[in-house]
Amino acid sequence: MKEIMVEVIGVDPPCSLCKQTEKNARNVASKLVEEGVKVEVTKLNITSKEIISKYGVLMSPAIAINGRVKIMGKVPDVGVIERLLREVL
Amino acid sequence: MERKRALKTVLMLGFVFFFIVMMIRAIIGAYTLTPTSTAEDLKALPLWEIPLVYIWDYAQHGWVCLGFAFTVSGLFAEFIPQSFMLQYMSSRKPISYLVATFIAPVFCVCSCTMVPIFAGLIYAGGGIGPALTFLLAAPANNILADVITIQVLGWQIALADIVSAGISAVVIGVIVSKTPWGKKFEQQSKSNPKQVDSVDLVKQPIDERLWNALKFGGYLAKRIVPAFLVGLVAVSYFQAFFPSDLVKTYLTGAFGVVLAALLGGPLYTPTLIEVALGKALVDLGMKPGATVAWLMGQPYDVANSLSTSRIVGWKIVITYGVLAFVCAVLSGLLFGLIVGGL
Repeated sequence: MKEIMVEVIGVDPPCSLCKQTEKNARNVASKLVEEGVKVEVTKLNITSKEIISKYGVLMSPAIAINGRVKIMGKVPDVGVIERLLREVL
Repeated sequence: MERKRALKTVLMLGFVFFFIVMMIRAIIGAYTLTPTSTAEDLKALPLWEIPLVYIWDYAQHGWVCLGFAFTVSGLFAEFIPQSFMLQYMSSRKPISYLVATFIAPVFCVCSCTMVPIFAGLIYAGGGIGPALTFLLAAPANNILADVITIQVLGWQIALADIVSAGISAVVIGVIVSKTPWGKKFEQQSKSNPKQVDSVDLVKQPIDERLWNALKFGGYLAKRIVPAFLVGLVAVSYFQAFFPSDLVKTYLTGAFGVVLAALLGGPLYTPTLIEVALGKALVDLGMKPGATVAWLMGQPYDVANSLSTSRIVGWKIVITYGVLAFVCAVLSGLLFGLIVGGL
């Protein structure tokens, strides 16, 4: 079984856009977990040096899946995140 | 499924075109989008009615302008290629200043996108110069502020504000990057270049992108309109009761420019309220020169300075605050001399 790592990258303290993004990601994750997929969602700080040296300059909020930024500067719907996660399954 | 997508796309495009057409009609028809109530009209009303009448007056005229501004902001945020722009801004070439002044701020309406880009540019080695330029230009040059300023205060003042805010932002960015503490800060914060292939954005179909754009416009409206309404209530009383003699005495001439630049800063007001308050002051007698200085006071307000000082430290914040004040005064004076309205 494959494991998916989802990183929600936003400002800290989170603004409402980041919160919504994280919530959507967690909803999809729990759905996939029920199907037996291993999904781990973490929230990261976009202004931290580690994140910037890993991903470069990003627009908030962003989502990285398995270490690659797939979405930035917008709040993806649950459907969009689900599609992205199923692609890497 | 395909038909549903097509229908959704058409509906959303219809919504966008509706606002564009209404806006063009308003511009061509020279139809005013700002409140027309004067201090005399307002003063004659019972106290509780003043804000209601003022807001109603505003809503009647302003809904096209606000609807247009929110829709277009959403579209810009969604359709301007972001990675491309971020790359240019962190390239350490002179063009990064240009992108940071006039292109990047267009889509950055909300401070929770500005600060990360600012920090990102610095830590990714883009240099303090373009990062500061971006931070200073963004509040004045974002599309939402531009549309509202043009409609409320007229295109001349708006253009003066956009151009002078842009030039000042570049000048300040360059100067700060040459100061000893600016250089020292740059050296401290240089980090490793990023892995090349870590960003690989997905392409979404057009109906999803339009939906993103409208959703973001709606989010902006939800965030900004309530604050704007509160601001309008304050402005309505202000316009009704603030002695116009005081404005005519102090917010005119060279002294007026300096005072307006001083007042425009520390007062923490969102751009839209600053514009509305500016309009009330203009109606009460503030001169064009002072108006431009007033609008340019935004970058050094207290809240913004606090959040940037956490990233770059007080020394740099004070340097750019003082420079921004000087630029606001100079631009106000210059504009006043050019249009003969000091």
